[in-house]
Amino acid sequence: MSDECGEARRHLYAYIDAELDSAAAAQVRAHLEDCPPCLHSFDFERRLKLTIRECLSEEMPESLLDKVRALIRQETA
Amino acid sequence: MADQANFERDALQYSRQLYSAALRMARNPSDAEDLVQETFLKAFRAYHTFEEGTNLKAWLYRILTNTFINKYRKESRRPNEVDLGDVEDLYLYRRLGSEESADASRTTEDRVLDGLVESDIKAAVEELPENFRIPVLLADLEGFSYKEIAEILDIPIGTVMSRLHRGRKAMQKRLWEFASQRGLIPEGAERP
Repeated sequence: MSDECGEARRHLYAYIDAELDSAAAAQVRAHLEDCPPCLHSFDFERRLKLTIRECLSEEMPESLLDKVRALIRQETA
Repeated sequence: MADQANFERDALQYSRQLYSAALRMARNPSDAEDLVQETFLKAFRAYHTFEEGTNLKAWLYRILTNTFINKYRKESRRPNEVDLGDVEDLYLYRRLGSEESADASRTTEDRVLDGLVESDIKAAVEELPENFRIPVLLADLEGFSYKEIAEILDIPIGTVMSRLHRGRKAMQKRLWEFASQRGLIPEGAERP
């Protein structure tokens, strides 16, 4: 692993969270184009983040929205 | 200044998302429902203080988070730190052998990412102490920016980043344990 790999990986989360400014993001992107192992590791983290997001979404009970509306209308009554 | 008459139209569209976050915070459906109801009631009462055109979703999450912290948390005696020991970056990825052999590891990665069940991921999040769990939920479930999370939680951006980093590492460590228990890790991939 080169210094460049270390530098890119230091920004891994900021990169996949889209938090880097455009110059820093371009630098990471350029490294990933040249470095398949880093690209692979970034892809893995991105897939993991997506998997986590999908698993954490919940169906809300329909009745909850009715309860909230009733509470609000009670306030204004 | 926002008009209370528009509250239902503007705010209730976030109810499903707020419920998902509330459930991971409170860790049971009944408290999550109470939390969402209380959040909307407080938000409605304070809606005249909300500045129209600013970030309504973040404003609602701020109320949700504060309500949870003040009223529902039952873990004041639980540790507020994660024991990361020797947990390095890319913990899961490295343990899948991905650093050494890209081709062989892709199969293992697919097997782990497809084989971890929803309950594993929910448990890994819910086991995090809340000062790590809430930033992880806000970033990974809700897609808030670091700046928005800092405003919602009233902490510096640097703290958001470090809690997210540590929280995600702790989750990866737990997910590795779940994957091992489920037999998703082939012989040889595991490195002590």
